Amino acid sequence: MIVQKFTGSREEQARGLAKRMVGMYCEKIEEARESAYVGGRKAGLEALEGFRVQGYADTRNKLNGNVSRLSFYVRHGVLGIREVAESVRERFGKSYDAAKFWQELGWRQFWRHLYGLWGDGIYEDREAAKVLLGSGAEEELPAEIAEGRTGLVCMDETVRELVGTGYIHNHARMWFASFVVHFQKLGWRAGERFFYRHLLDGDPASNALSWQWVASTFSHRAYLFNQENIQENGGKEWCARCTAKCPFDATYPELERRLFSK
Amino acid sequence: MKTGVWLHGDSLSKRDPALRKHPGGGSVFVFDRPFLEKAGLSFKRIFFLYECAVEVAEEMRMGETVEEVVEWMREQGLGRLAVTESPSPRWRETVERLRQKVEVEVVPAEELVEVPEGYRVKRFTPFWKDLGREWV
Repeated sequence: MIVQKFTGSREEQARGLAKRMVGMYCEKIEEARESAYVGGRKAGLEALEGFRVQGYADTRNKLNGNVSRLSFYVRHGVLGIREVAESVRERFGKSYDAAKFWQELGWRQFWRHLYGLWGDGIYEDREAAKVLLGSGAEEELPAEIAEGRTGLVCMDETVRELVGTGYIHNHARMWFASFVVHFQKLGWRAGERFFYRHLLDGDPASNALSWQWVASTFSHRAYLFNQENIQENGGKEWCARCTAKCPFDATYPELERRLFSK
Repeated sequence: MKTGVWLHGDSLSKRDPALRKHPGGGSVFVFDRPFLEKAGLSFKRIFFLYECAVEVAEEMRMGETVEEVVEWMREQGLGRLAVTESPSPRWRETVERLRQKVEVEVVPAEELVEVPEGYRVKRFTPFWKDLGREWV
């Protein structure tokens, strides 16, 4: 069955496609909208040309740091992984920043390599967990988490950005995953499904194995964060607006004791 | 005999290696209805794929991928199909089913580093130390 090319603005094209593909996406039709991030090679090349690698290594962990936002173009082969790496080399040469950026592309290649070896085995625990985890029986995240209604501003805003744009910063992904798996004791598979559904760069291997990295079923230790880490890398704006009793306001030894004691 | 190209979600631009190898035979992208009905992706993801596909694919279709690709080849009078390799098990299974109906050429994907056949490590650090020397 042929799908026609829709005409008009992005919004009009999105409306046309949403009508054509009813039943094939998770939102209600009236809530189906385009992302602010534009698909296609023309947009991908513009994003690549606009990216400057200077400062990448030291700022990439900050929510407002100099990250590339090229992941969705690389994920879908809109930009070639080697093409992106070579563009940085040709424009900026070799440097500490460039090497860090290439290393992050290397992670993508690593996940791809493991996906080729393990196939759907990426959805099974790769190793025994190093800490106490929940049963992992949940199919989906609880509605208050998936709909951004926990009352924890940092987590709710992360969900709103993910669902609203199809993209969140890598550090926000790690915080949210750690919140789901370690603070809420929910299974990583439920979180993995949620991210895969919404991330424009959602890649089976990168997503599933990163969740396992946080959970400690594919890493030497579990990933934890605390309020100080959020404020250092995300600023204090979320905390200033938050009235909830903060579960993250503790030192790491305290959190480990609270979350991982059997 | 002309070769058509099946573009899929891992390789959705004119950078696609199969398309660069066979630029003249046309290309198709399929929204796989059984997969999408089950996966429940956000519409934003689907529209992003649409915006990528609409720039490059000569035809976009919706339905079961093997049926749609074979039907497209028949309509276009194509004798052979080329596709870029993917590690996805669903992709492998689709190619196997396509091969029961048409001749399929698998073109290697673009890689950042070459991973030798049989290479095995469980952690990124040794992987990058072994294979990422060009990029340090």
